[in-house]
Amino acid sequence: MHVESGVDAVPAIRVVDLHKRFGTLDVLRGVSFDVRRGDVVSMIGASGSGKSTLLRCINRLETPSSGEVYIDGEPMGHRGQGDAKARSLAEINMMRRDLGMVFQQFNLWPHMTVLGNVIEAPIRVRGMSRREATALGEECLARVHLEEKSKEYPARLSGGQQQRVAIARALAMRPKAMLFDEPTSSLDPELTDEVLVVMRELAADGTTMIVVTHEMGFAREASDRVLFLHNGLIEEEGPPSQVFGAPKSERCRQFLSKHVQ
Amino acid sequence: MVSDALAEALDLTTFWEYREVLLRGLAFNVYTFLAAATVSIAIGLAAALLRVNRLRPLRWAGTVHVELFRNAPDYIMVVWVHFVLPLLLGKLLGSRIEFDPFVSAVIALGFVYSGYFAETFRTGIQAIPLGHLEAARACGMSERQILWRITLPQVVRRMLPEAVNIFVSQFKATTIISLIAVPDLMYRVGMVLQQEMKPLPLYTGAALTYFIVVYLFAGTVRALSERWRNRIYA
Ligand SMILES: Nc1ncnc2c1ncn2[C@@H]1O[C@H](COP(=O)(O)OP(=O)(O)O)[C@@H](O)[C@H]1O
Ligand SMILES: [Mg+2]
Repeated sequence: MHVESGVDAVPAIRVVDLHKRFGTLDVLRGVSFDVRRGDVVSMIGASGSGKSTLLRCINRLETPSSGEVYIDGEPMGHRGQGDAKARSLAEINMMRRDLGMVFQQFNLWPHMTVLGNVIEAPIRVRGMSRREATALGEECLARVHLEEKSKEYPARLSGGQQQRVAIARALAMRPKAMLFDEPTSSLDPELTDEVLVVMRELAADGTTMIVVTHEMGFAREASDRVLFLHNGLIEEEGPPSQVFGAPKSERCRQFLSKHVQ
Repeated sequence: MVSDALAEALDLTTFWEYREVLLRGLAFNVYTFLAAATVSIAIGLAAALLRVNRLRPLRWAGTVHVELFRNAPDYIMVVWVHFVLPLLLGKLLGSRIEFDPFVSAVIALGFVYSGYFAETFRTGIQAIPLGHLEAARACGMSERQILWRITLPQVVRRMLPEAVNIFVSQFKATTIISLIAVPDLMYRVGMVLQQEMKPLPLYTGAALTYFIVVYLFAGTVRALSERWRNRIYA
C-alpha cells in the first residue's frame, strides 16, 4: 500500500473498473472515478447510458459483475484487498448506512409520518433511542426547511416537499456521501427549484455528493466535477468549466447542445 | 295458516327465555372464530411469504397450500379433522389420539381460511412499490426489518376491507361446528328444540343473533379503521 500525506488522500468514494451486465446487455463497461471528501460530482448522459445502474452499484442495490467500490477506503463488496471473501448481506447493510440515497420517485413510506420516515432507520439501523432520533430528525427536517411538516403524512405533501423529506431521511443516517438519482425529474417544473435550493445548500455545507441530473444549471454551478456517461463508459470528465465550456468528446458536445439552452 | 306460521316465527319469546344458555353457546362461536382467525392469519402469512419467495420449490409449496385449503369445503374439513386426522396420527404414532371438538374446529377453520388470507396477503405484498423496499435497503435496513416495518404495515392497511370479508365468512362458518358437538349456539338451539318443539322462533332468533354480531363487527372494524387505512393514499 502506498502512503500519502493528509486525511484527504483517501477518497470518500472510489470506483474501480466497474462492470455490470444484465444477461447479454453490457450496461457498465469499466467505469473508474474518485470522489474526494466534500466534492460534488454531477453525472450527466443520455437516458439508458447507465447512470442509475452506476449509482445502484455503488450502494449495491445492484451487484456489480466485476470491479469494486471503496467507501473511505473500505471495499464495499469484499472484506479486504485482493481476492478476500465477499461480504455477507448483513455486512453490506452495515456499509450502506454510510451512503444516503435519494430516488427519482421519492419512495417515502406512506404509512409513517414525515418524522417517522426520517427517524425509522436511525432507530432500527443505528440503534438510537426515539428521543435522540427525534432530535436528529427535526434537525434534518430543518435542513430541508420542512420542520413544520413533521407530523403530516407523505400523501398530504407536494412532490417537492416529499423529495425534501426523502433528502432529510437520507441525511438522518449521517452518511459519508449522498447519492441522488434524478431527484427532480418527476417533479413539475415549478417544484424543482425548492429541491435544487436544498441540494445547493448541502453542497455548500461540504456534503459529499454524486448527483445524476438533467439540471444542467445545477451541474454547471454547484458541482466540482462533471462526468458524462455514454454507453456504460465515462466519455468526458472534468471541472464544469471544461465539460460545459470546451468538451473534448463530440458526443458530449452533441448531448450538451440538446440539453443546455 | 301462513300468517300463523309467520307470527310464530317472529315471536321470539322462546328464544328470549333461553337466552342465557343460548348466548353462552354464542361465546363458543366467538372463541372458535378468534382462535381460528389467529391460526389463519399466521399460516396465511407464512404461505404468502412462500408464494413470493425467490425459490421455486417454496413458491410451489405455497401454491399447493392455497389451492388445497381454498378448495376444501368447511363442512368436510371440520369432520375430517375431527374424525379422520386423529386416526391417521394415531396410526403414525402408534397410540390412540382424540381431539377435543373445539381444537378440531379451530384447526379445520383455521387452515381452510388460511388459504384465503394467503392470497390476500400475497396480493398486498406484491402491490408495495419496489422503490419503498429499495429506499429501506439503501438505509441499511435488513430484509426482516423491511418486512415488519415497511411491507406488512402497508399490506394490512390495504387488505383490511378484504380481510373483514374473510372474517365474516369465517365467523359464519363457525355455525357448523355443532356437527362435532362443540356446544355453540346452533348446538344449543338443537338441545332446546328437543324440549320446546318450537323450531321457527328458535332458528329465527339464532339467525338474527348471528346477523347482528356479524353486522356490528364488520361495521365497527370498517368505521374505526377508515382514517388509519386511508392515510397512505393521496
Ligand atoms: N434490472 C435490469 N435488468 C435488465 N436491464 C436493465 C436493468 N436495469 C437497467 N437495465 C438496462 O440498463 C441500461 C441502463 O439503464 P440505466 O442505468 O437505468 O440508465 P440511465 O439511468 O442512464 O437512464 C438500460 O438499457 C436499461 O434498460
Ligand atoms: Mg436513470
